[in-house]
Amino acid sequence: MSNLLSVENLTMQFGGLTAIDNLSFDAKNNEITSIIGPNGAGKTTVFNCLTGFYKPTNGQMFLHKNEGKISLRKYTDFKIAHVAKVARTFQNIRLFPAMSVLENLLVAQHNELMVASGYSLFGLLNLKSYRDKEQLAVDKARYWLDIIGLTNRADDNAGDLPYGDQRKLEIVRAMCIEPKLLCLDEPAAGLNPKESAELNKLLKFIKTEKKTGILLIEHDMSVVMGISDHVVVLNYGKKIFEGTADQTKTSKEVIEAYLGVDE
Amino acid sequence: MEKKDIIQSVKDSLFTGVIALALFGPIVGLRTASKGEGLFITPQWGIVFILVGLCILGRFLINLNSARKTEFTFFSKFTSKLSSVTEEKAKHLAITAILFAVVFPFLPFTDRYFMDVAIMILTYIMLGWGLNIVVGLAGLLDLGYVAFYAVGAYSYALIATTFGWSFWICLPLAGVFAAFFGILLGFPVLRLRGDYLAIVTLGFGEIIRIVLINWYEVTNGPDGITGIPRPSFFGLPFKRSPDEGEASFHTFFNLEYSTMHRIIFLYYLILILALITNYFTLKIRKLPVGRAWEALREDEIACKSLGVNPTNTKLTAFAIGAMFGGFAGSFFATRQAFISPESFTFIESAIIVAIVVLGGMGSQTGVVLASIFLIGITEMFRDLEQYRMIAFGGAMVLIMVFKPKGILANRKPTILMHGDKK
Repeated sequence: MSNLLSVENLTMQFGGLTAIDNLSFDAKNNEITSIIGPNGAGKTTVFNCLTGFYKPTNGQMFLHKNEGKISLRKYTDFKIAHVAKVARTFQNIRLFPAMSVLENLLVAQHNELMVASGYSLFGLLNLKSYRDKEQLAVDKARYWLDIIGLTNRADDNAGDLPYGDQRKLEIVRAMCIEPKLLCLDEPAAGLNPKESAELNKLLKFIKTEKKTGILLIEHDMSVVMGISDHVVVLNYGKKIFEGTADQTKTSKEVIEAYLGVDE
Repeated sequence: MEKKDIIQSVKDSLFTGVIALALFGPIVGLRTASKGEGLFITPQWGIVFILVGLCILGRFLINLNSARKTEFTFFSKFTSKLSSVTEEKAKHLAITAILFAVVFPFLPFTDRYFMDVAIMILTYIMLGWGLNIVVGLAGLLDLGYVAFYAVGAYSYALIATTFGWSFWICLPLAGVFAAFFGILLGFPVLRLRGDYLAIVTLGFGEIIRIVLINWYEVTNGPDGITGIPRPSFFGLPFKRSPDEGEASFHTFFNLEYSTMHRIIFLYYLILILALITNYFTLKIRKLPVGRAWEALREDEIACKSLGVNPTNTKLTAFAIGAMFGGFAGSFFATRQAFISPESFTFIESAIIVAIVVLGGMGSQTGVVLASIFLIGITEMFRDLEQYRMIAFGGAMVLIMVFKPKGILANRKPTILMHGDKK
């Protein structure tokens, strides 16, 4: 399987604090790569570097696309999602709570719709070409809502959904930008076992059917061990282990990091 | 109701009375009057007792009512009914309202005074709708909106007096200038949100006003600009005695000359401008850029993570909002024929923001109701002179008590998957 993302010697310092220390790892196409580690290990900081919210102190991040590899350092802010096609979700859900479920999914298709609406000009004239494109966007939203079973709540406010559904909605909203790489920050946090199982199913579907690479931060081991193809373990900003899920379970370093060293 | 409750509410009412006495005693009770030489204090205890009595009685009645746990208010019921009407009915309601606005100048009780008030209300409705784009949709609290109103008015006045171009050429130019100033303000405040943004926009409003006062060579400073040309009816001026060989409105249509003609024309002009603003806002809200504005109001970080460009989105909101402020400004200039920086003080911005917030952020109908309510009430109490601002404040307090989210707070989705179910 070919590489999708290569992180090389990534270092992030905040003043004197080194949050990520010389981290290198690869994530492959059509695989779920999990980043785990105790609280404060620097997992979310890795995400923030990858998705342009932080500018790393040192190191490179490359995304391998059909047309060649591109450096993620070049893109900041909204361009990571718009140009590089790296999507993410957040640890504390960030939906648009006062907007409807459907509108949430349409905002994710903003850039295509902006072009289709002739930067609002065609839209104001109500041209058919724009209306057709809008219908396509709605169809795409319906497709994803069917998958997570929220089609009948499409017109309700996103903020009124139950917690588990909000998590799933945030994931499919990120999928609406058709990303190459999907970064999920603790998607199973606060979910009950049944909801976690549904989440596993959704992530497997995205991996196999949508051919999208997934990078996952998670504490819920039933999710991590159930679906990860590859696991990277961080502690104090350093990579302490890398391997398959089964190898991780038995690794001495990992157990020490989580449970402490036996004196 | 139990005896205990009654005693409790009597106690509470008396306490209210004490507060009222402390407030009204010095403010109303002691009046200074100048007699001959020097000021003398004339006590007016009678009025104080009446006011305090009213407060005690009012508080007691409110207590009785809340003890019975009945919803007192026709107002809440009326507005919640308004919020729950279906799209079909809302359309009928809007058409009725527009029809009423169209025939209003010809109703039997409509006189010059009513027309002036109606024009004023419509101007505020238009400003409210313009600001609604910035505050209601994009969620950018702008306390300096009057700056764009001023830019529109001054661009119109300067272009019209310097080049003598007609209203219909100057109007779009004024809009363009105001939009340009909108972008100018937008750039430095891109990173600001909430309170910080409000402070900077407030400062911007003051800067524009102070520039207008001090840039004597161009704006004529505090003396203002006089002799701004009036709009004409497709080239027909509203003059009593037109120049030789020129037709004026009343000679062309063989009418008796009346100043009302011009007033009625101005009324229709602002009505059309306001309706254009409304139509445009309703349309653009359903377009991607409108949805991006609302998404930005909800969560800017999520917007970035979805590839929405926050810079462009914010700047378009500022520019379009400012443009409508500019249109309203040129209307103001042509209506008054005289403008000076005094017309563009902070209180104007505050009133417009109040209209948007009290109407219910983002609600177009809410802006209309709030304008009629606030401006109408202030006008009704005009006889009270400076005390009419108490009525204005009272109206705001009433709305905030009964409708903390504004008169019409509910938001309808811009697009539905399953159609209108209600």
